[in-house]
Amino acid sequence: MDMLLMGLCLGVAGVVFVALAFGAAMRSESWNSSVQPELPLVQAAAPARFFSDRVAVPRSVPPLQGPQVPIEVLLLQIENHVRMEQAAAESFLAFPTHALLHSKTTSPFVN
Amino acid sequence: MTHELLNGLSPTEAEKVLELGTRLIVPTGTSLFRLGDPADRLFLVKRGRIRLTLPMQVRGREEDIFVEERAPGQTVGWSALIPPYRFTLTATAPLFEAEVIALSQEALRQYFAANPAAGHKIALNLAVVIGHRLQLFQTMWLREMQRTVEVRSA
Repeated sequence: MDMLLMGLCLGVAGVVFVALAFGAAMRSESWNSSVQPELPLVQAAAPARFFSDRVAVPRSVPPLQGPQVPIEVLLLQIENHVRMEQAAAESFLAFPTHALLHSKTTSPFVN
Repeated sequence: MTHELLNGLSPTEAEKVLELGTRLIVPTGTSLFRLGDPADRLFLVKRGRIRLTLPMQVRGREEDIFVEERAPGQTVGWSALIPPYRFTLTATAPLFEAEVIALSQEALRQYFAANPAAGHKIALNLAVVIGHRLQLFQTMWLREMQRTVEVRSA
């Protein structure tokens, strides 16, 4: 019985020793390796952008025109709107008043 | 015909300035200059109309949007006298051919140096043209902003 227990203890001690030796060998191999472990890349900070390529449209603002309007009609409406706004601005410049500056347009483009 | 750029000049002075220019015909639908082009000439509209436009994205397409129209007697292309000497709009003859008098930047500079009194008057006339554009567009901008504010605060 004593011999059996001694053998068991020696066996367990041998397994522990072999495990420790294996672990130490693996650690030294990884430190001595010329291939460095791959580290997670630091994400580059995105460059600050003052201007955006796209115009942000607030959700509360409905689209100006439905897709059913031909683009030629839409462009004509924009041109008419610009002409009407210029006329309104000319009136204001000829006789500057708060009322003329804030006069409501009848342009169908924005109404 | 009187040109806004030559207001206040004597007939002889105005004639001298016009002699510096070159008469150009702008066929229907063609560009006199395009946005971003080097601005080395200023134009006096003699006949027809010149349409000024800016590009805008409309439904994913770039479209030339009407900004202003210049009529006979008016001036186009004053970027030729203002740094960085690049046109900031595109100019075309929309429906009919137009005729303009092209005054080169260099010829005008030389004339101003030789005739400072006339050059001063032309510079003041140019300031009136530029100032009017500024006032017009700041008014239009304010009106558009007012509408945006009303929509957002509704």
